[in-house]
Amino acid sequence: MRESRILRGLDLFRGAFEKAGVDYPIMRSILQVKLTMDGRRVPTIIAGSAKRQASESNQPEGNAFLRSLWVYGLMGLILVMFMMMPSNYIFQMSLVFGILMFLVMTSMISDFSSVLLDIRDKTILYTKPVNRKTLSMAKLIHILIYMFFVTGALAGPSLLVGLVKYGVGFFLIYLADIILMDILIVVLTAALYLVVLKFFDGERLKDVINYVQIGLSIGITVGYQLISRLFNYVNFEAQFHPKWWQFIVFPVWFAGPFELLLRGDSRSYFVVFTLLALLVPILLLFVYIKMMPAFERNLQKLSDQSVRSRKAGGKVTDMLAKWFSRTREEQIFFRFAVKMMSTERDFKLRVYPTLGFSIIFPFIFFFTFTPEGGTQAIPSSKMYLFIYFCALLIPTVVMTLRYSGKYKGAWIYKTAPISNTAPIFKGTLKAFLARLVLPMFLVDSIIFIAVFGVRILPDLVDVLLMLPLYTLISFMIFRKALPFSEAFETTQQKEAMLTIPLMGLLGVFAGAHYYSTTIPYGVYIYMALLVVLNVVGWRWVFQKSLK
Amino acid sequence: MGNYRSTRPDTPQGAAATPVIRIRDLRMKYADRYVLNGVDLEVSRGQIIGYIGPNGAGKSTTVKIMLGLVEGYTGQVEILGTDIASGDISYKSKIGYVPEIAEIYDTLTAREYLTFVGELYGLDREAADIKAARLAELFGLRDAYNSRISSFSKGMKQKVMIISSVLHNPDILFLDEPLSGLDANSVIVLKEMMSLFAGQGKTIFYSSHIMDVVEKISSRIILLGEGRILADGTFDELKERSEEGSLEQIFNQLTGFNEHRQIAEAFVAAVQEA
Repeated sequence: MRESRILRGLDLFRGAFEKAGVDYPIMRSILQVKLTMDGRRVPTIIAGSAKRQASESNQPEGNAFLRSLWVYGLMGLILVMFMMMPSNYIFQMSLVFGILMFLVMTSMISDFSSVLLDIRDKTILYTKPVNRKTLSMAKLIHILIYMFFVTGALAGPSLLVGLVKYGVGFFLIYLADIILMDILIVVLTAALYLVVLKFFDGERLKDVINYVQIGLSIGITVGYQLISRLFNYVNFEAQFHPKWWQFIVFPVWFAGPFELLLRGDSRSYFVVFTLLALLVPILLLFVYIKMMPAFERNLQKLSDQSVRSRKAGGKVTDMLAKWFSRTREEQIFFRFAVKMMSTERDFKLRVYPTLGFSIIFPFIFFFTFTPEGGTQAIPSSKMYLFIYFCALLIPTVVMTLRYSGKYKGAWIYKTAPISNTAPIFKGTLKAFLARLVLPMFLVDSIIFIAVFGVRILPDLVDVLLMLPLYTLISFMIFRKALPFSEAFETTQQKEAMLTIPLMGLLGVFAGAHYYSTTIPYGVYIYMALLVVLNVVGWRWVFQKSLK
Repeated sequence: MGNYRSTRPDTPQGAAATPVIRIRDLRMKYADRYVLNGVDLEVSRGQIIGYIGPNGAGKSTTVKIMLGLVEGYTGQVEILGTDIASGDISYKSKIGYVPEIAEIYDTLTAREYLTFVGELYGLDREAADIKAARLAELFGLRDAYNSRISSFSKGMKQKVMIISSVLHNPDILFLDEPLSGLDANSVIVLKEMMSLFAGQGKTIFYSSHIMDVVEKISSRIILLGEGRILADGTFDELKERSEEGSLEQIFNQLTGFNEHRQIAEAFVAAVQEA
């Protein structure tokens, strides 16, 4: 275990911790262990023999988490753009904080929930003679360290540009704001879990967290749209007229201090924003520390085993399996995959938020690219082609199909008398289309028909036919691995990069579609072409590449 | 195989020592169901308690309450004279615990994990490391000591758990199915260790589903059913009471289970059906 520099930094505050009743050396050990574990995303199954492990652990350890930070840094460059804009703090900084909060919160929920909700802590730490305060503090600090890095990477570039362009005052306010925002995010996330934990238990609770995560991801995206609307309607030179709802949009608060302190604009609402930005996070932090034991107590529910027999059901699945699959083996795996996709916790956690985004993606672009004729011109335009964006994340999910939290169960594939793996893949891909893609597409289609009218029906059929083809191509591109047979930890960055050309391919599909609308009956020709490609493709791929 | 009854120390019944564990009218309710329905129990030094009962009888819950993992019970639990509800957690430094499911930070190496646990128990880092290394070597884990636990077999993980429970030389050991995954030789070693520990005056609270083992090593057997103590005594006392030959049979009788033959027959018949 390497002594981390972070901990040495923390040592400076030793006195303060001890004054607060924290057993500092113990907390330090806990943090060291936690940080070591974060850094080791071991590909457990390919890790191999104990011998190899031994030599591996003697090597200097790079921290996988730290190495992934550059991605956040890249995203942080977007914020630099806003710094370059003509300075109108309230709009500029509302936007910056809108984006920051969105990115930090989603990263917090998607990557760090497992830390916040690690139930192993209970058995390992709570049985030891360590006081609760130390344990709570260790958890809090652990989260804050994580936040420090993520926000550091995200906000770093814009902080620097801000310093150069607007000076030290701006830099300091921005920095203070970011710290307050981080606190707010930690508390809000914990509060969210606490509320959910309070009212539900066991399995249902994990479901609920799942759905909240999805809902939240979508909600924040929509909120972000609100800010950019606010940005669109009013030009930069115009005056800012506060609306009541802006008082409940956090990012606007954090923009307040810039107006108040840098521009000396002491109009009452800027004062109120500033006070909200300062006081709410601090107040909530105290509430959070007070509520921590309650949080831990409710966390216990996560490990409770409640045996709840679900209704047998499955009739719809049976029906779908018969519709989509011809052979018996393929139907078996179709049903199996449907069940796994709808019940496997880790899988849902990774995939469902992605699907949530897929549903709203097509609409985001309406805001961004309003046609020349304004919003009235949308229904008669060709903007319905934006529905292609709903397929943007198909490659990512297809790649995820091979992962499972219970990947060890995959021995069943090997011991069962299955001669050919083709039905396994085929059934799973079809299940993915039927269970996840189709419902998502239907939701989008209904809204699109409402906006554009039934005239786009043939076009939607085209898109519908494109989906299986696109799924198939994605499947071909990635390494073939049996569905649900690998640990999520083995996810490889390199392979994830393959999704980028696949997204480009989606553009080709959309482009072809656009072109087909410019020639008579083009849409139908495109349709026929897709049918042929699907039939040939699905047959060819499963005959050729798999034995 | 050694005769465990002979190596087992006599229960210090005469010595009116203060009980190590004292539980009075312990009740615990989950949602709408009582898991524990008034358990009264006193345990003295040097006893090996076989804590048995069918699934869902409340065994794990009792142990978890004593470890401070479960809150919201009613009744009184005293360990080494401390009421565990008092907020004084120092009693935990006298307890070792092997949970039923090997919950472990398995991305750490055995060395890192054991040293960490030692530190949590208040040991010095180096001292914990030296001790853990020695115990690991005795348990045949020397080569694996610096490897990540995620690469360990079930039995190796179990050995790590057992080592982590005794690093700090506790007075009480809570062992929940400690034999699971261990090979036959390690089982013998562990059983031998338990009687030696008991000989030193340590109290061992042991729960298992394997009746033969419980029958052989326990100085006292407590049978739990539906949140109550159904029987409490030495194996011989239990045998007298129920006029049955083995603990397994006593267990069946006291928990009112006598359909094993019918169930087995029905099961085998169902396997052969088309």
